[in-house]
Amino acid sequence: MSSSKIEELKKRRQKENKAKSSQIPYAAIFTVVAIVIYGVFLKINLKYSTFWIIGLLIGFTIQRSRFCFTASFRDPILVGNTSVLKAIIIAFIIMTIGFALVQYIFVGDSEIFDIYNIPGQIHPVGIHTAIGAIIFGIGMVISGGCASGTLMRIGEGFILQIVVLVGFIVGTLLGARQYEFWDKLFISKSPTVYIPQYIGLPIAMIGQIVILILLYFFVDWYDRKNNLMMM
Amino acid sequence: MSLYNRIIKKPWPYWVGGILLGIFNVILLTTTGQSWTITTGFLYFGAHILNIFGLQPSDWYYFRQNTWLLPGETFIRNYYTVLNLAVILGSLIAVLWASEFKWKKIKNKKQLFFGFLGGILMGYGTRLSFGCNIGAYFSAIPSFSLHGWVTAVFMLVGAWIGCKVLLKYIL
Repeated sequence: MSSSKIEELKKRRQKENKAKSSQIPYAAIFTVVAIVIYGVFLKINLKYSTFWIIGLLIGFTIQRSRFCFTASFRDPILVGNTSVLKAIIIAFIIMTIGFALVQYIFVGDSEIFDIYNIPGQIHPVGIHTAIGAIIFGIGMVISGGCASGTLMRIGEGFILQIVVLVGFIVGTLLGARQYEFWDKLFISKSPTVYIPQYIGLPIAMIGQIVILILLYFFVDWYDRKNNLMMM
Repeated sequence: MSLYNRIIKKPWPYWVGGILLGIFNVILLTTTGQSWTITTGFLYFGAHILNIFGLQPSDWYYFRQNTWLLPGETFIRNYYTVLNLAVILGSLIAVLWASEFKWKKIKNKKQLFFGFLGGILMGYGTRLSFGCNIGAYFSAIPSFSLHGWVTAVFMLVGAWIGCKVLLKYIL
């Protein structure tokens, strides 16, 4: 081994040691701050206390599991890896059951669905959905992270993601500014399709779970066939 | 292996993350009636900034047509702000417990350019598809709204185009 290589290794080792200096005191401080804020919310706004604690847990979880929603779209295309996508499908199955129960309690036995007030994200579907999703899809791949990833990486100390966030805010403002154009062209003419409206909540739930399970096996098969990392 | 090592030092498998995120979103919906969304909060934050500069975004067609705020909430004081700040802080706390926090600089101008451009594209897209890959995908598909599935398919198309750009100009 050449001496320059040894020097390089030494340097790298030093870097690693430097990075390993303990940040636990800071961790403790920020944890206490988070808990104090939680306590304040408990007193002044119970709903916000829930948003706060769940938000903290979400942030903690996506950081610990290196969860990247962008990767779930990008990696199957780029390297044939579907491990994040499979985890999201598992999440979908859990949430399909959970959301169905919450919505069932809200709807009750009534035959008419009040689709504008049912808990969850229920919005008009149409050409605008496709255009928006394509634009978003391009953006998340070239910027290297979507909304949740941007928040997570800001927490990790990435300066780039602060720039992405600023762009994100500018983009939402531009989109809102031109919303009238899109609304008159597509959105106002598009239906809001809540699937249980047509087939009932129980069948919608079971059907969606079956589809998700089939999708899981397909994606698993796709991974074994295409994953470049495994070879 | 100690508990500290297992939770704090070693990355969790993706499926653990998936299960937990699914459960958290269900808890959020059960207790608050809202599912996890992000980008509308970015918009309200931007609108708040415009307000400071004396512009009146609340007159915009968009804000007259849509109110995604809870009763009594403002552009800055709303549940999106609470949730988004909590996600950043949660991630920061996780990194610090692992002693892995580090300011990571922007590598070059290209990264800066594509980061900013990608951010704008994502932001713009969310106003059309009613959310990002959280609000219009992760929370929409379990809500049994068809737009969640449509978003998933076309986001994949967008990601495919993005990958072409990535391979040609960025990597």
